[in-house]
Formats: sequence, C-alpha cells, structure tokens
Amino acid sequence: MIETVANRLLLSIPVLFGVLILGFALVTLAPGDPARVMAGPAAPPEVVAQIRDRMGLDDPVVVQFLRYLGRVAEGDLGRSLISNRTVTAELGAAIVPTVELMVACLVWSIPLGIAMGTLAAVWRGSIVDRIIMTISVAGVSLPIFFICLVLIQVVGVQWRLLPFIGRGGPLWTVEGLRHIALPALSLGLIFIGPVARMTRSSVLEVLRLDHVRTARAKGLSERRVILRHGLRNALIPVVTLIGLQAGYLLGGAVVTETIFSYPGIGRLAVGAILSSDFPLAQGAILVLALAFILINLIVDVLYALLDPRVQRR
Amino acid sequence: MKPTRSWSRGAAALAATTALCLPALAAAQEITIVREVDSNNYDPHRSTARAATEVLFMIGDTLVTLEPDMQTIAPGIAESWDVSDDGLVYTFHLKEGVQFCDGKEMTADDVVYSLERWIDPETASPVAWRAGDVESITAIDDRTVEYRLDAPFTELLYQLTQSFATVIDRENVEELGEDFGINGFNGTGPFCWESWTPRDRLVITRHEAYDWGPPWYENQGPAHMERISWQIVPEESTRTVALMTGQTQVTQYVPHIALQQLRDAPNIEVQRHDEAFWTYFMGFKVDRETVADEDVRRAMNLAVDQEALAEDLFFGEVEPAYSYVSTAALDWDPELEEHLLRHDPEEANRILDEAGWERGPDGVRQKDGVRLEPVTYVFAGSTWGKISEAVQADLLEIGVAMDIHAFDATVAWGQMATQDFDIFGMSYPYITAGEALNLYFRSENMPTPNRMNWDDEETDELLQAGKTALDEEERFSNYAQVLRKVHDAAVWIPLYHEPMYIAHSTDLEPVQPHNNYGAGLYKGLDLRFRD
Repeated sequence: MIETVANRLLLSIPVLFGVLILGFALVTLAPGDPARVMAGPAAPPEVVAQIRDRMGLDDPVVVQFLRYLGRVAEGDLGRSLISNRTVTAELGAAIVPTVELMVACLVWSIPLGIAMGTLAAVWRGSIVDRIIMTISVAGVSLPIFFICLVLIQVVGVQWRLLPFIGRGGPLWTVEGLRHIALPALSLGLIFIGPVARMTRSSVLEVLRLDHVRTARAKGLSERRVILRHGLRNALIPVVTLIGLQAGYLLGGAVVTETIFSYPGIGRLAVGAILSSDFPLAQGAILVLALAFILINLIVDVLYALLDPRVQRR
Repeated sequence: MKPTRSWSRGAAALAATTALCLPALAAAQEITIVREVDSNNYDPHRSTARAATEVLFMIGDTLVTLEPDMQTIAPGIAESWDVSDDGLVYTFHLKEGVQFCDGKEMTADDVVYSLERWIDPETASPVAWRAGDVESITAIDDRTVEYRLDAPFTELLYQLTQSFATVIDRENVEELGEDFGINGFNGTGPFCWESWTPRDRLVITRHEAYDWGPPWYENQGPAHMERISWQIVPEESTRTVALMTGQTQVTQYVPHIALQQLRDAPNIEVQRHDEAFWTYFMGFKVDRETVADEDVRRAMNLAVDQEALAEDLFFGEVEPAYSYVSTAALDWDPELEEHLLRHDPEEANRILDEAGWERGPDGVRQKDGVRLEPVTYVFAGSTWGKISEAVQADLLEIGVAMDIHAFDATVAWGQMATQDFDIFGMSYPYITAGEALNLYFRSENMPTPNRMNWDDEETDELLQAGKTALDEEERFSNYAQVLRKVHDAAVWIPLYHEPMYIAHSTDLEPVQPHNNYGAGLYKGLDLRFRD
C-alpha cells in the first residue's frame, strides 16, 4: 500500500510541474497589466513603469517563471495585487468553505447515486428503472448554472425555505447548514446522475457473474446477494468515476460558488482572474490542481482497499 | 422496539429538516446590505473604490459633511470652522467627546496625522490632489486644527467631506502596518469594524458612544442598527431576489431591468435620487484628424439619441444627459441650457454636408482623404458594450462608422492613456461642476484624465481663477465660462446621468439616499426598522 501511494506521489510531480507551467502561462498571456492593477487607474505611466521594473515584469518570461518556481518551492505564493494580503492567507480562508461544500455535496449524493443505480439494476426495465435513469440523464445533461437558478427560484424565492446568499458559518452550525444546503444540493444533482448510471451498469454486469449465481444457489437472500456479493464488486469502477467526478465538481463549484455568493476557492479564482489579480489566480489554479491530484490519490488508495489485486500488482 | 426506534429516528430527521428550513431568527437590529463588489482594502488613503467609501463613511468621520442636497457643507467632527479673508487658512474647531471605537479620545493630533498621511508622497494616494496645495496642517491645541494652503482652494471643504479625509488612529495604523484597513480599523464613526472576509462579507457593529453625527441627520447617534453585514453578491439577479425574499434588507446595486419589478413588490420600496452626480460620456481626442473638426464633433453630438438610449437600454431609469455635469451640481450655469446639443440627425447631416464631409460609396463620410471612422476605446462588459453599439448605430445614420475596441478594465486604463484612439467612453462621480472641470480639462492633466488633449490656456486660467476664487460669484463666473467653452467646442458626447437608487425592505423606515461618491447609505444613522 505504501508503495502504491509513493508511486502515485512520484507520478504527481510532473503533473504538478505541468500545472505550474500552464498556470503561469495562462496568467501571463491573459490580457491585463499587473503593474497597472497595483498602481491603480489614476497612476501616471512612470509609476506603472517603476512597478513593472520592481516586479520584474520586463524580464524574459523564462526568468519570470524560474523566479516564480523558486518562490513556490519556498511556499511563498506572493501577495494579492488587490488586497495586499498574502496569497496563502487568501487561499487558506477560501479552502475551508470549499471543502465543506464538497463534503456536504458528496455526503448525500454518493449514497443516493449508488442506491439509485442499484435499484435501477435490480428492477431493470421496470418503471423504477426508467424514472431513475430519466433523473440521471437530467442530472448529467442540465448545466449546473441552470440547476442553481431553478433551486434559487423554487426553494429560495417561491417556497422561501432556504437562504441562497453567502456562507452562514461553519458546517456544524444551523446557519452554516442552512446556507450550504442549496449549493450542496445543486452540486449533488449533477453528481448523482453519472454515479447512478455507472452503478447500474456495473451491478448488472456483476449480477451476471458465476459467484453471484453460486451465492444464490447457496440459498442466500436476494438482499444479501446484491449487497454483499454484487454491490461490493460493482463498486470498483464506481469509485474510479467518483474520483474523476469529484475533481470535476471543483469546476462545478466555481459556478455554484459564484451564483450562491459562497466564499470558496472557486469564487476566489474567478474573482482573481476577472480582476487580473495574477498571484492570487496562479495560487488558486495551483490549489485546484493539487486538490485534483489529491482526490485521485485517495481514489487510488480506495481502489487498492476495495480490490486486493491492485495492491498485489 | 424496532418500529419505535425507526419512528424516533424519523421524527428526529423531520425536526432537523424543519429547523433547517425555518428562517433564522434575526437579531433585533441587524441588517444585511448586499452589493456587487468588494474593495481592495479599507484604508482611506490607499483605496479609491466606491466600495471602500461606503464602509468608511460608516466606520469613520470627516471634519465636515455634505448634506443630501450635495451643496451644503455641514459640521462633521468639526463643530465649526473659520476661513481667513485670503482663503489660505482654515481653522477647524473640533467637537468635544469624540472617541475612537477603542474608547480613546480623538484629538487634533489625530486629525493632523490623518490629513498628513493622505498627502504624504510616501502614501502615494491617487487622490491626494483633492486636499489642495497644502502648506501645513497644525494642531493648535487639542481641539483646534489649522489647515494652511499655498493657494486658495474654494472646493476644499467639499473635498474634506470625502472618505479620503477620514480621521484615523495613528497607533492603529502603526500597529497593523500593511494590514491597516485589511485586518482592522479603529475609527470614530457610528459603527466599528468587526471582521472582513475579502470578496465575501464585512461586518460592522454599533459604536455605542457615538453621539456626534452630522446635524442634518434626525438621529445623531448612536445608530439604530446594532450590526450591519455588507455582503458581496456578484450576481445581479441573485441580489434582486435576495431583497425580495428578505435575505437582505437594503441595496443600491439593483439592475435597471429589475427596478419596476421591485417597485411592484409589496415588501420593497425604491428610493430614487437624481442628484447622484455620476455621468456617462464619450470624449473626443480633439487633436486627432478624424475628430479635430469641431463640425464633426457637433454633428456626432446631434446624431446621438440620448432619450432612446436611456429608454431602450436602461428602461427609462437613467436621465438622458446633454450637459457634461448634472444641472443640479454646484456651479452649473442654467443659461447654458439653450446651448446644449440635442438629438437632431437632420441638422447633423446638414452640418457635415456644409463642412465638405462627403459620403463615400459605402455611406461613410470622408474629406481630404480622412474617413470618418473614429477609433473608439471603451471598457469591456455589458454596460459599455450596449452603450457603444447604440451610439455606433446612431452615428452610422450620419455617415460615421465608429470602430469600437473594448478592453478589460485592467487594460483599458493603460490603453486610454495612449494617443491611439479618437474617442473614449468613461463615467465619473463628482461633487461640483468645478471639480469635474478641473479634473478633466486642465492641460496639466494630459494624457489622463484629460484624454481629450484639451490644451487651452484660457481654460487653464479660468479654472485656476475658479479654484482660487474667494467668493462664490467669482468662482461661479469662472467655471461658467469654462462650461460654455467646452460645451460649445463639443469636446464630449454626454450620454446619461445615473440617478441613485436605493431599494429596501418595507420593514425599514424610508432611507434618505446620499450621493457623496455614490455611497448611498452614507453614515447609516437613519437605517432603522419600523416600529
């Protein structure tokens, strides 16, 4: 197991390096002048030139990148051009809400997606199967911003059940839960579709295998057969999918956080990019990439836990 | 036992869900104000953002204040002031008992420190010019401040009402260093800094000792509200429905398209204030050959239909502009009304025909090899996108093909400091006509903010005379001449004046919009729930 984790970590290094290059290139090539952002709109050109010089913006791009790399290696992501707070402080404040949002989304959508997929597989071809698959297709097809707006309109405006702006506090407080409910619901709705579909096809496949027939022949109850012998073996591809989808959820979180004014890392990234806050944008991109790598690492570990053959390989 | 346990679990789940869905019980006097963007910081000398001003007026105080009519100067933390006959020395007499939020008494030294920090070149405040040509600022005693100028500055008191002149606490500034206005702020305003999460929420709480509010407020303090949360909600539709559903009680950031809907809502009141002094215009770079001809500029002014623009693009919620400053602004000359250029495309075509600008095969006019295709720089985004396209369509009617280039805001300021365009789009806040004219039409302000390259000696002399005039009549007369001069030369195309809108819940007493720098709620002393 340790070897698996170590291998994955080593493989992450070139990925991370690629992310650093890409993040740097995207931000450097984007329109906008960091010196102008820092100096403010009313600053005369000579002040802007001074700042450009001080920030080394006139140096060759390679020199700028190496300097950036050196700083990142020391854990220094610079300071926000807008607020002058350190990028690490800005990111630190935004990570917790995003992690809470991820947890609040996954905690209900994974069990529900798996349950829906299993039910659809067990009652294949029935009305239950059709209803579940319709919901799944809708979840996969509908754009996240649309789901967010519909939830705001229906749950927030018409029913007035839940708030839809900002974060109410930590997840364990009532206000925190109330405020996170709609963003987590929106994100989860796009998540359950793929999970349910993958679970359904995977369970169907497993239920056809010999060991399931043997279990049934031994006289085990259908519930035990499905849960113990079917679902557990069917979960391996589902876990892979969850890992991939959880990474994409970060992308969905950017939209969700913006629409619900939720102060997470997605909204921070959008704000930083729109305001040409280059160090903050680079930091946010880096953190999002790290999160993606971390999620994949967790998936690999889970994979090994679920399927001992992976460990042996 | 099993069914019982399952019932109790179900009941617990139901109770938890119900608790979640019940609206939170609001604290007695606590409101949320939503707005579109946050400020970069809340240091009065390092931010020119309106978002900073909105909060700074509430957590800080200035020597003098501006009444909602935007013309009358009233006491702030100075209860009175004297101006020397030569207009060079202002002596401010401070109120007694003014305290910072930490309980420390505010003295003349704090005022001196604050104003000196504002104009200190090391602070590099982009608006230090607003303080005038300062010779010295001195604390005569604990309650008296002497503000000495090198040259008279008739608008000094108006400028001192702005948030840039907020009195701050030296110890607090030195203690927080670069984090001043980011991690804390010790001010003397009706509210005190509690916390700030950038781009999300800033929370301020009532300053219990506050009783030195401006005299024109019915309530001079303490504030009725115990706690105010300034919440950032970037999405305009979310802001609108948040107001309608009671998640926020007040906002001045309502999209024009939603104003009628809000007026129709039984639980919302919308206040409109026309003396907002925020004007949108397009300026000509008068030395570029495409627009150097005054006839061309006049014709382009006549071609633009401001009324249709206000009606079609902004649902009639903005005021069509024909003047460069609001006609309600201090020192506007009403006699100019009859000289303003209003929509008349026939006259525009006639002027261009007479001036020898002939239409080419594609309908675009040209003369001596110069085609009327002015390069136009505007900010990227929906507002300037739709404005510039509407103007483009109007101009095409008279044979002018506007070539629009839209830039991201961070690039646009730099681009508009170049000499590569003929027309630029801009909007700006001001308090008086004189302030607007001094900012945009002084030759020393080329290439920015005088992006028109309006280089006229007489204008400079008149502006200087207006700025240093010792009486109101003299000031008015000088500024009126400049107004006439630049309007006659058609240096801009005024587009619209944006009124101030404040939409609030009917749970609140009506709010008096205030327009100093567009900070509509000003000190927030009149924010209160209905009995």
